[in-house]
Amino acid sequence: MTFLLLLVLPVYGQTLQVPDAQQFVGNPQGTPLAGDQLYRRTGEVSALLRCPVCQGLSVADSPSEMAVNMKRQVRELLARGYTEEQILRYFELSYGQFVLLKPKFEGVNALVWVFPVAALLIGVLIVFTKIRKLSTDNRQPTTDNPVDNPDDEYLRRVRDMVGGGKA
Amino acid sequence: MIPSLGRILILASLLVAAAGSLLGFVTGRTLSADGLKWARRFAYFYAALIILATLVMEYALLTHDFSVSYVAQVGSRLVPTWVTVVSLWSSLEGSILFWGFVLGSYILIATLFTKDRYQEYMPDAIGTWLGCATFFSFLIAGPANPFRTMSPIPADGPGPNPLLQNHLLMAIHPPFLYLGYVGMTIPFGFACAALIKGRLGHAILKPLRESLLLPWCFQSIAIMLGGWWAYEVLGWGGYWAWDPVENASLLPWLTATGALHSLLVVERRGILKGWTVTLVQSTFLLVLLGTFMTRSGVFNSVHSFTQSAIGPTILVFLAAMLIYTIALLALRIDKLEAEGRIESTASREAFFLLNNLVFVLLTFTVLIGTCFPLIVEAVRGKQMSVGRPYFDRMVVPLGTALLFLMGVGPALPWGRASKEQIRKSLLMPIITAGIFAVVGYIANVRHPWTLITIALGGYAIHVTFNQMFVPMIQRLRKGESAVTAFVEGQLLRGRRRFGSYVVHAAMIVVLVAIAVSSSMRQTAEVHLTKGQTQKVAGYDLTFTGIEDHQEPHRVSTIARFILARNGKQLAILEPRMNQYETMREPIGSPDVYTTIAGDFYVSIAALDPVSNSVAVNVYVTPMVGWIWIAVIVMGLGGVMALIPPRTPRAATANVGDSVAAETA
Amino acid sequence: MNRTVVIVGSLIAFALVGVLFIGLGKNPAEIRSPLVGRPAPAFALREVGTGRTIDIAQFRGKPVIINFWATWCGPCWEEHPTLVANARQLGDNVQFVGVVFQDAEEKIQGFLNQRGTAYPTLVDQEGKTAIAYGVGGVPETYFLDRNGVIRAKYVGPMDSEILRANLTKATN
Repeated sequence: MTFLLLLVLPVYGQTLQVPDAQQFVGNPQGTPLAGDQLYRRTGEVSALLRCPVCQGLSVADSPSEMAVNMKRQVRELLARGYTEEQILRYFELSYGQFVLLKPKFEGVNALVWVFPVAALLIGVLIVFTKIRKLSTDNRQPTTDNPVDNPDDEYLRRVRDMVGGGKA
Repeated sequence: MIPSLGRILILASLLVAAAGSLLGFVTGRTLSADGLKWARRFAYFYAALIILATLVMEYALLTHDFSVSYVAQVGSRLVPTWVTVVSLWSSLEGSILFWGFVLGSYILIATLFTKDRYQEYMPDAIGTWLGCATFFSFLIAGPANPFRTMSPIPADGPGPNPLLQNHLLMAIHPPFLYLGYVGMTIPFGFACAALIKGRLGHAILKPLRESLLLPWCFQSIAIMLGGWWAYEVLGWGGYWAWDPVENASLLPWLTATGALHSLLVVERRGILKGWTVTLVQSTFLLVLLGTFMTRSGVFNSVHSFTQSAIGPTILVFLAAMLIYTIALLALRIDKLEAEGRIESTASREAFFLLNNLVFVLLTFTVLIGTCFPLIVEAVRGKQMSVGRPYFDRMVVPLGTALLFLMGVGPALPWGRASKEQIRKSLLMPIITAGIFAVVGYIANVRHPWTLITIALGGYAIHVTFNQMFVPMIQRLRKGESAVTAFVEGQLLRGRRRFGSYVVHAAMIVVLVAIAVSSSMRQTAEVHLTKGQTQKVAGYDLTFTGIEDHQEPHRVSTIARFILARNGKQLAILEPRMNQYETMREPIGSPDVYTTIAGDFYVSIAALDPVSNSVAVNVYVTPMVGWIWIAVIVMGLGGVMALIPPRTPRAATANVGDSVAAETA
Repeated sequence: MNRTVVIVGSLIAFALVGVLFIGLGKNPAEIRSPLVGRPAPAFALREVGTGRTIDIAQFRGKPVIINFWATWCGPCWEEHPTLVANARQLGDNVQFVGVVFQDAEEKIQGFLNQRGTAYPTLVDQEGKTAIAYGVGGVPETYFLDRNGVIRAKYVGPMDSEILRANLTKATN
């Protein structure tokens, strides 16, 4: 009898086990959350995760079941005290950087943050150089009235009225 | 019969456009009056053919002629008539035909309105317009052919994508978008003509401005309708996700707005000509890029059409236009001579330059963010995402900078200003800014950035209204009655100025409303069984039951709620889940209670008819309705600025006043 | 000839068209897995029908094919006969495991009764296993080697050729 039990136990005796964040990112490094704050932070963190089955929506916004599962996972991890970095890292390890809506500031990805700032600096430089160039050039400042020009609309109308025909 | 008729019309339009384009460019070199006359005739002929082809398709749709491949693809006997009309642009092939329709209409109007004028530029402009028309007719004739013959002829079709049938906004968003997008071809033509001639004379500025402004108005409204549609239909309670296709619609709008402003500097000071032309051409190139992004399947998006052979073809055209544009600019930009100068940094001109800087930065940032995942994948083979958190972080400071510029810029005069003038015009609005900030604080706004935005908004509104009513105030000082002063000064003579400042005022409202609606939004997840009430954000939400509703093409399950506050019933909300025959999963449809203060928005997360319980997401968003209305006002302001001034007879009466009002 | 325009313009044009051209050759819906080359996350789930708990660790020593699917997924229906046939052919040399999430157990049982099966099908009730494996949609299949390391991932329905091709990555 015991022999049979020993045979059977390894199979029936196993407990259900699902993969856990702990295997991926270790122990929780923050404080467990609850109530309103938990609800709020769940929304904030899941807004940083991309729903893998939708096209571009965040886990916070997507109605799909996959996103709902992920959101539930985020809530559970926050309640256990995992930090935002840990949670994001957990999803990154299984889905890849694809799942992070906010690009990580490392390697090639850092460029997406750097380029616009560089463009800003270069742009400001160009604008101020252009202003200086345009103000030191020796040209007459134009008057407020439209330049007197044969195809000028206003003059043409006046000429028409006076009976001058086409310009 | 109809497929053949359609095909013939399209092929004819292709030939006519190609011939007309060639003729236009040849006439640009030979300068023959006859050549121009014929080029214009070809333009009219092209327009007639493509418009006719579109009407033929619409006829086929309405008569459910399933022998036509496109009708078999999107037609259905079960859907309401308005859906049938609208299905013309619901799927890829039909939408390109619709593009041709809008392009033909624009070319028709542009050719008509330039009769006997701008002879110097018209041949090359027509050449460019018809060149673009040739490409699109080629698409319709070839890769995107909606007129293929079906054999055997099916008895019925699946109808357009159900997501597009959920809401009436689906009927108007695409036409507005096309009126905006496609319309940018016309100013592109003028800009190219100016470059080819090596001259951006004063005369051509008016058609350039007007042909840029009209599509701009449509585009503004189209972008807003897209956001409003996403808000009312998609169920996640927001209106802008920085999705690649949303960005595609925004990019040309940004450069067009920049171009409109720098055009003003060209008009007043004769400088920045090359830059303005570059912006106008960039706008058209971004339109092509946008349509590529939407149709090629390269970008992962909610709205994109499925992958097709059209992608590579559009890319080739985009590359060709890039080469055309760069070549023109490289060879001719130096010929566009500056006629004036900037006198001081504290002048309106300088602030226009800063305005352009901000718009270019916005364009660059949105473009880089959208394309970056593609770049990384091409270079490194890795997949990454650039989503809403990135764009919000990068765009918000630039938006705030715009608000600041809108406040200070119009307060400064053109040319040089005395220290006294500057101090006077810049100090007064600070009081309004303060008042706005206090009101915001009282209304529970605590987020510092939002308070700053509100204050800047107040500042800018003060300056805008000040400038807006200058003509009227001038007349009041002369002793006219208020009504006459308003009607004459603002509406009859000062439309361009008035319209422009209306646009500014509306834009300020949009920026402030976006800031407030984003930072002050409250969300809640509510689970209720039948008869239960829950308090949400000061409101009482009662779930009264589930109901099924059968329609020919779908089954709707409605969850009914009563919304009340302080005991008074405000509305009945009916979010629903629509199950279409052709889709596996039902599509949710939220319901919204809108007031001036804000919206109460409910969308179903889960439904259980067995236990009569429901789980809903509730979003209480202040001021979001202001965004839609402000953009409509913005479009109307732009249209007002477009209406040409009164006939010469009346103009002689008060010439000086008209000039003062015209030059903003 | 304005040199700035040529340089800046060409740079933008080449970069843009180049990136878009390369993009045309890729499918944005295919997400590549970072788990390839890493040990497969451990799990023990309940088998449909028998109610037994099956731990994949017990399959160490031979290659394992884990197929994530659901009854509401069309392509999964197409793929099922391929999996069953290959499972039978490969016998004891390769262990097949099916994991279903976002589904009702009666439906799964009905499906298996109707269409037959040759290997255990497990239920991942809350989808946590799917999340740990970076499953975006169904069907998605993982190929583990004898030591439990993921050697390949395939997204979408497979035919025998694809299955064998990916299996060689796990058996080498």
